[in-house]
Amino acid sequence: MTRRRALLIYPAAVAMLAFALAPFAWAALSSFLPETAILSMPPAWLRYGVAVDNYRYIFTGAVPQSYEIGGQLRKMISEEIRQVPRAALNSGIVACAVLLLNWLLGAPAAYAYARLRFPGRTATFYVITLSRLIPAVALAVPYYLIVQRLGLLDRHLGLVAVHTTLTLPFTILILALYFRTIPPAIDESAQLDGATRFTILRRITIPLALPSLVGTGLFAFMLSYSEFLFALLVTTSSYSRTVPVTLASVATNPDVSWALLSAGTTLAVLPVGLLLGPIWRFMVRGLVGGAEG
Amino acid sequence: MTEPGGVAGGRRPSTAVPRAQAGNGRVASALPTFARSARRGEARTAYAMAGPALLVVGLFTLYPIAYALRGSLYTLSPILPSSYVGLTNYGLVFGSPYFGFALERTALFALATVPTVLVIGVLAAALLTQRFRGDLLVKIALLFPWAIPATASGVLWKGIFADSWGALNAVSFKLGLIHDYAPWLTTPHLAFTAVAIAQIWAQFPLATVLLLAAMQAIPHDLYEAAALDGAGGLRMFGSITLPHIQPMALIVALFETLLALTTFDLLFALTGGGPGTATTVLSYFIWSETFKMLSFGKGMALAVIIAAMALVLIAALMRLMPADALLGAES
Repeated sequence: MTRRRALLIYPAAVAMLAFALAPFAWAALSSFLPETAILSMPPAWLRYGVAVDNYRYIFTGAVPQSYEIGGQLRKMISEEIRQVPRAALNSGIVACAVLLLNWLLGAPAAYAYARLRFPGRTATFYVITLSRLIPAVALAVPYYLIVQRLGLLDRHLGLVAVHTTLTLPFTILILALYFRTIPPAIDESAQLDGATRFTILRRITIPLALPSLVGTGLFAFMLSYSEFLFALLVTTSSYSRTVPVTLASVATNPDVSWALLSAGTTLAVLPVGLLLGPIWRFMVRGLVGGAEG
Repeated sequence: MTEPGGVAGGRRPSTAVPRAQAGNGRVASALPTFARSARRGEARTAYAMAGPALLVVGLFTLYPIAYALRGSLYTLSPILPSSYVGLTNYGLVFGSPYFGFALERTALFALATVPTVLVIGVLAAALLTQRFRGDLLVKIALLFPWAIPATASGVLWKGIFADSWGALNAVSFKLGLIHDYAPWLTTPHLAFTAVAIAQIWAQFPLATVLLLAAMQAIPHDLYEAAALDGAGGLRMFGSITLPHIQPMALIVALFETLLALTTFDLLFALTGGGPGTATTVLSYFIWSETFKMLSFGKGMALAVIIAAMALVLIAALMRLMPADALLGAES
């Protein structure tokens, strides 16, 4: 690499990284600071030391020291933030169920679209893929009423149903595209041996398409973990709420404590942070044509 | 499920049937019997495989659309009896100054975010076509804003823009750029800027990835030939890279416009549509009409209007995509 190129590339890369990560870096830092330090004026973030008090409060309810000024508990404490671990568990359960349903329903459907001919193939495929382009907020009321009528309000099952609908089109589209890259001759010779289509899917196609299954599974998981609008409508009690709903609820409280909110938010995005590597490997790398990495 | 006549693999025995006659109903009877029953069996298998997924998508897509279309003609509210009112809801929406205001906010929001996302996306993608130490790490970290929940993005940017505890005020003060903390999220035009920046941040990774894919697809010998002709890096970028990524850039622009029209989570967490209605774009407007004002009928009329606007964008998107990109050619 020439010197001139390096002088151009590294500053640009650093600038981009800073832009992408700065908001999170501040949240991660403030999650270890006492509220006093964050509100100090002129700002002196590190003067009061760092501590895990905010996280301890979330998990145990032990009020951080900096909130007890002169023996009086500051009003600004955001008790709702203690729901984050529970919400993360809820989000995880819902997202895992959505992921499994995507595989169970999506793989056979994708196989049908990739390999079989049947009346209505093109029309139904377009309905499936285009359905996701309709703005979610436009369908909020009907969704709400359907879930209500099915008796699934405030039940995770209701949210699983909605999220599955939202993610299934992507799964079918991507899997169908991938399945088509597998030579049909393999299927045909298996058929000669008497295998049914379901057997072929299970024994041949799916093992060959594992990376794309992982990719679509990750995508479904992430979308479900992140989805906010329907989660807000469907989960009405704090017991069933998911992460985005809990975060938004704490954040929109005008009296919010940033020390606690930043700790809760750091916890909430941590699972996604851990998934970034696999997301790159299974969802993005193939797209950007990287033999590298 | 077994398939009768599976030997044919369900493929139309095109060698046996003259091509010109294919698709003609009369010809179907000329097909050998085993082929016909094989195709029927294949269709049955296909429905068994795709049926459950179709059922789920149908129940939660077609039915809600029909419901919204019908509901927009009624006064619907959870607290009042409903009645048929024809197109009154649409009249109410179009006559409301708030709708016009939300429309204007949305247009401004799209204008502020879409071109910026494109420019940052092109620059970032151009950077990532280069190989350098740590490039993989940069690529993976870049996905972060796109991968986290949009409400979390809203919260993270609240941490930047909040007045008493925001990092922006604290850092600017420390650097001596300001002497008073600026009330970013409670001043209308500043709040709008803040939301736009947060949206750009959340959206640029996707644009970067798509544009990077387009750049990687450019044949390498084009650059080699240009280099032989003595073209410099900038020249090559202008006359090879940009023209080649133009179709993808257009797709990204349309898709981002669609997102600007429908963004909701980020706004909800960052500004709640405020201060006043400064950041109330269409999607948030629908939300507040429907679930704060509890006028479901009017909300659904709004929803139909926004869906119609989205459909125009979607139609444009579809025309830009190669015809067989989705399903492949009907061989």
